[in-house]
Amino acid sequence: MVKGEKPLENAVEVKELTKFYGSLLAVDHVSFEVKDKEIFGLLGPNGAGKTTTIRMICGMLRPTKGTAVVAGFDVSQKPQEVKRRIGLVPDISNLFGELSARVNLEFMGKLYGLDKKTRRERIDQVLELFHLKERQNDPVKYYSKGMHRRLTIAAALIHQPEILVMDEPTSGLDAQAARLVREITIDLNKEGRAILLTTHQIDEADKLAQRVGIIDHGHLIVLNTPEQIKNSTEGMHALEIKILNEVDQQRWIPIISGTECVDDVFLVEGKIRILSKDLSQIIPAVVNLVDKHGGKIENISVAQPTLEDAYINLTGKSVREEPMSKEEYLQRRLARSGLR
Amino acid sequence: MKPLTSLMHAVWIAENDLRQSFKSVRHVVWSLLFPIFMMFTFSFRYGVTEPDVRFITFLIPGIVAMTAMFGSINETMSIVWDKTLGVFDRILAAPVSSTSIIVGKTMSGAVMGVISALVLLIIGSMIFGVSFVNISFVLLIILLASFSFTGIGTIISGLASEPREAMMLSNLLRFPMMFLGGVFFPVEAMPMPLPYVARALPLTYATEALRAIEIGNISIVFVDSMVLLFYTIGTILLGSEILMRIMTR
Repeated sequence: MVKGEKPLENAVEVKELTKFYGSLLAVDHVSFEVKDKEIFGLLGPNGAGKTTTIRMICGMLRPTKGTAVVAGFDVSQKPQEVKRRIGLVPDISNLFGELSARVNLEFMGKLYGLDKKTRRERIDQVLELFHLKERQNDPVKYYSKGMHRRLTIAAALIHQPEILVMDEPTSGLDAQAARLVREITIDLNKEGRAILLTTHQIDEADKLAQRVGIIDHGHLIVLNTPEQIKNSTEGMHALEIKILNEVDQQRWIPIISGTECVDDVFLVEGKIRILSKDLSQIIPAVVNLVDKHGGKIENISVAQPTLEDAYINLTGKSVREEPMSKEEYLQRRLARSGLR
Repeated sequence: MKPLTSLMHAVWIAENDLRQSFKSVRHVVWSLLFPIFMMFTFSFRYGVTEPDVRFITFLIPGIVAMTAMFGSINETMSIVWDKTLGVFDRILAAPVSSTSIIVGKTMSGAVMGVISALVLLIIGSMIFGVSFVNISFVLLIILLASFSFTGIGTIISGLASEPREAMMLSNLLRFPMMFLGGVFFPVEAMPMPLPYVARALPLTYATEALRAIEIGNISIVFVDSMVLLFYTIGTILLGSEILMRIMTR
């Protein structure tokens, strides 16, 4: 591909991208591409390396190894060209709290080189689009979380980027605000924009992304469409049970996990979810086991394997668990602060 | 990137920083109240009910220089808040060169130092009738001092990983500098080896120069300006190096 030409197929191409923070390997030879006009989801638990990956793609962090090409520009060689074509929605709403929405957008417009007339037009446009016009002159620090998020997305769109990079776009939002952000994401994609989003929420990746890359410990484990990933659980069944009058459903997990023909067992929304290849054996086995341990089953149902089931099947662990170790947290904090 | 575009980026970053600072009225009032309080407290020295005129002429230049120090370093501390709140990332993600960011941050720090110092200068002149022989020299010294303090602020902001650490680091530098920089006690009256320590601090030269302008002793101002210029270049280069390391890692 000739540098600077708009790519025909891929908006982002990442090859063998690697990042070390001191001795900590944060991103390990990650390769994927975001196709033009596609929503690509990078899914993984907190601390998996998602943010580091997108910071490298956006030219904010230098890769230790590997390349990222955005809209035909290599980020290591032409970071400013890459930055002009990307709109970044960070995981926190990093706006200037003392300033109004209009002044925040005005500042971003200036940094992206928009002239006064274009700035005014675009600001009016995004304020209208994100329903922020009425409060446009209020200091941003008085906004709700949902409004903050909308303004953060608006600020990322002020220069009309070809590619939108969204880091945990619905993190910390209530259900209604999260749904609105998801709808906005889909609309922006329908306008023809490629979107790279990171999330630790499996259902979000499932609902939004046309293709998903699952990342853990800096390593890309799988890369496919959500449907194809779910198909990897072919032959697998998901059984959901709830124990009657049991406050601590979690305590049944080690009991059930020892049973023969149980592939995996974990807690989802207060229910015990059991993955198994043999449905005819697993149902009586679980019923007997619960009975033997003095419990009664309140509810039992068989469900279609989800993306989360596939994730657990592939990685052997739940996305929701896996907190960072103290050492890993400290290393990352030091690395971010620039002290190492 | 074209030099003019880079310069405009720096100006916008500085303008945005100052806009943030001045929008927070409390921030401005608190930061000015401290030197004003110090000025009035020390003006009634040693239980004398009426302000000691000779001491006032000694005190005001020092207070003005000290205010430049507090104003500049406080403003530069915004870098640490920007890093913590992720606002710094907003600028890093934009097509802006690292140099523009550093120049912008330095400009806002220096402007804040100059404005704060001028406010104290006006108050001091109006209330205590202190006057300076040559106001353009006063402005030059305040500007140079503000830039050198901004450099110190940039170094602290680059080294500190969070605001609390930055506050501790800056107090560690500011308070000894305030008492050893000749603001309240003449350097010559300090016991050994404190005069040597005082001579290593930029505040000493700013205070000395402003006092010299006040009494019309311009010859020493040139030497002090050179020392402040040296401090400015040194601290800004070091601060930029530290910030550059964060931005391009």
